[in-house]
Amino acid sequence: MHDETVVPARPLRRDRSETLLAFAEALARVAASGGGAQALAAHLAATIDAAVLVEDAQWRHLAVAGTGERAVPPSVRDLLPKDAEHDEAVPLAPPADAHARAFPVRAGEARLGWISVFPSGARAVDDRAGLIRLTAAQIAVELSRDAGGGRGRRRGFWDRLLARAYEDPLEAKEDAQARGIALAPGYVAVAVEGDGLDETVAAQKNAEIRRVCLDTLGTRTGDVVVVERGGGFFFLVPAPLEVDAANARTAATLIPRGVQRAGLDVKIVGGVGRHAEMLHVAQSVDEAREAMIIARRMFGGGRVMPYDDLGVYPLLHRTGATREDWRAFATRVLDPLRAYDEKHQTELVRTLELFFGVGQNIKEAAALLNVHRHTVFYRLRQIGEIGRLDLDSPHDQLTVRAALAVDALDG
Amino acid sequence: MLTTVKDSAAARRAVLANVKERRVRWVRLAFVDVLGIQKSVSIPAGEMEDAFNGKVTFDGGSIDGFVRGEEIDMILRPDPATFVVLPWEENGQVEARILCDIAMPDGTAFEGCSRTTLKRVLEDAGDVLQSVQAALEVEFYLYELAPDGSPTTRTTDAGSYFDFSAGDRGQEARLDASGALEAMGIPISSAHHEHGAGQHELDLAASGVLSMADRLLTVRGVVRRVAQRHGLHATFMPKPLEESAGSGLHIYFALGDIDEAVRLHAIAGLLEHAPGFTAICNPTVNSYKRLVAAWDAPVYTVWSHRSANALVRVPPPFGDAPPLLEVRSPDASSNPYLAMAVLVEALADGIRTRSLPGDPFTGSTYELGDRFRAEHGIRQLPKSLRQAIAALDEDIVIRGALGDHIYHAFRDAKLAEYERYRRAVHPWEREAYLRTF
Repeated sequence: MHDETVVPARPLRRDRSETLLAFAEALARVAASGGGAQALAAHLAATIDAAVLVEDAQWRHLAVAGTGERAVPPSVRDLLPKDAEHDEAVPLAPPADAHARAFPVRAGEARLGWISVFPSGARAVDDRAGLIRLTAAQIAVELSRDAGGGRGRRRGFWDRLLARAYEDPLEAKEDAQARGIALAPGYVAVAVEGDGLDETVAAQKNAEIRRVCLDTLGTRTGDVVVVERGGGFFFLVPAPLEVDAANARTAATLIPRGVQRAGLDVKIVGGVGRHAEMLHVAQSVDEAREAMIIARRMFGGGRVMPYDDLGVYPLLHRTGATREDWRAFATRVLDPLRAYDEKHQTELVRTLELFFGVGQNIKEAAALLNVHRHTVFYRLRQIGEIGRLDLDSPHDQLTVRAALAVDALDG
Repeated sequence: MLTTVKDSAAARRAVLANVKERRVRWVRLAFVDVLGIQKSVSIPAGEMEDAFNGKVTFDGGSIDGFVRGEEIDMILRPDPATFVVLPWEENGQVEARILCDIAMPDGTAFEGCSRTTLKRVLEDAGDVLQSVQAALEVEFYLYELAPDGSPTTRTTDAGSYFDFSAGDRGQEARLDASGALEAMGIPISSAHHEHGAGQHELDLAASGVLSMADRLLTVRGVVRRVAQRHGLHATFMPKPLEESAGSGLHIYFALGDIDEAVRLHAIAGLLEHAPGFTAICNPTVNSYKRLVAAWDAPVYTVWSHRSANALVRVPPPFGDAPPLLEVRSPDASSNPYLAMAVLVEALADGIRTRSLPGDPFTGSTYELGDRFRAEHGIRQLPKSLRQAIAALDEDIVIRGALGDHIYHAFRDAKLAEYERYRRAVHPWEREAYLRTF
């Protein structure tokens, strides 16, 4: 029997103990960030260099991670030994690899599911079994919460959705329905935090911030979902239509004023993600979080900024933005103007190029375009309106110049 | 000048003094029926004190939308703030006019009184709208009169937007009308030729909403009268000719220096209730010949900063002035009091429910595709009076603003009007089918 199946009875060596403690702390942080079973499995997979499959007691997928080029069976249901005592780690039958093991996920006497690992064998990992057991214990906590009261069950659904645990919208809908959740076809995520809250008053202030946010974001299209994260909140605002998304964005930008009106002495910072289909709401949450960071760092906080209004900053903030990302950004900025030019035989993009080419000198741009300077002013106003840009703002100027540069470099 | 002091004993005394000082011979006590048609009864100036004491009555059973079929004496309650000496004399006799609310014989307010309805809506509109002001752009055509005095559709000019034609009778009539209105205490902020040949526009400077409804009533009367003196017929009919621009009534609301969020709520209220208030703001079968995708008439529930054919336009303000909300769908065939009442109610409801209007639209709304409209929650305005009445039936907020009496009286009158129109065989039908079938 592989040593991973042996429960360590001897006292842990100090270095081993520290490794497990560090891993347990990391798991706790992953759990706190709301990633659910998927995030926990991903963390384990990365740590032990293995594919990880998590299934519940009914053999439904809860998470799959670290698969890479490794083959993972759709379920370990038929790979468990018939006589296996389902309380300990067990080797899996072929076609699983000889090193593949399944560990029970238990809460007290109840078995909630299985966590199965498929190591590549390329890297030696100290106390792999210990790490897996810790992960199984943390997943058990998550599943127990799911299996708890209605609130816990609902919370579990949103955690899974945000952890991207569902691949099929139908599966997500069915699970939501089973937990008494009415899903909207789309959502907009709003991230909000109170800046610099004193710990002694943070809980009370946060409760008030939450109330103001819900009041401001309240919608006719369904209940706003609140997810607490660290010191702040994510609000998932139902947005079946684009107009609902637009209204959610507008409402979110009004939150700081609402907080001020409510007499809360708190500086609010936040971000709004883009409109996302239900299954991809995690993307909107990521964007909301990123928008919040940018709002704080680039604009000094005190506002809730839509991701869509951040121009070039998300790309500058993101490490590893690809050429394609930059092209998509340039297209997003310039295409509305190009479409207008094509339809109305105008020269808005050329006007922009020349305007910035001559250092934003209206007179010189007018001379190059062979038009009156009032015409340049008029076109710039048109550009601002069509492209939803404020060309007096240095931030939007940077965005337009970056888009023009990407476009030019692409030839 | 219009007296601006409030309805009080002092205001009444001021009117009586004015009557004496200006040697007024007759005072016309004016009010409107449910369709907004001005009615009046003239009394000798010496009876004015009795009128203030509620002693002038009329048969409410003979007025559209009041209590038809029953003979009931209703009381005219003159509003001293609306007293004005007319800037012309009839047979050397000075005449004045004063607008009245209607009361029941027991002195209680008549729920079919449009003016009282607007007052009620304003009172209930909430704090933000207590100081709301309105301004108007009212369009009309001036046509030649036939030798028998009947109106034609011939115009005195072939001008277009902002054109000036020296010696044009239409232009002279417009200037004279503007002068008369100024003399009656109605400031005109601008007056100009409009798109259509013979089409003109008067822009009324901002005032309180009730006062602006009063003014529109006066403008309609004065323009027609002055035009007649120039041998012309003035019409506020929304669409006199298919091939020419329609005449609209663009209503601007100044909400003052309020939170930007509240302004958005107000815009949302207008968009939300636009289908419901269309029957009131566009109350004739002809109104819907104007509300088509041409000549910058609005057809969709869209707001914009610049688009000329958006239903609600919020033009970029000049300097630090708070932005105005322009509602572009109404026409001047509407009852000014009811039109203002439903629009104020829509603003108030948007603010009460804290609705939001979606993003402002850029470009021409005529090019909006079905899918875009569905995604952005954009609805089409009713295409006919019948559709508009159906939309009104479904809008309990707008119906609530009108009150049961006016809602039913207006609805009955308009359904009957639509039925007459539906039964009529129009020239277009003969042209299209007479030879074909």
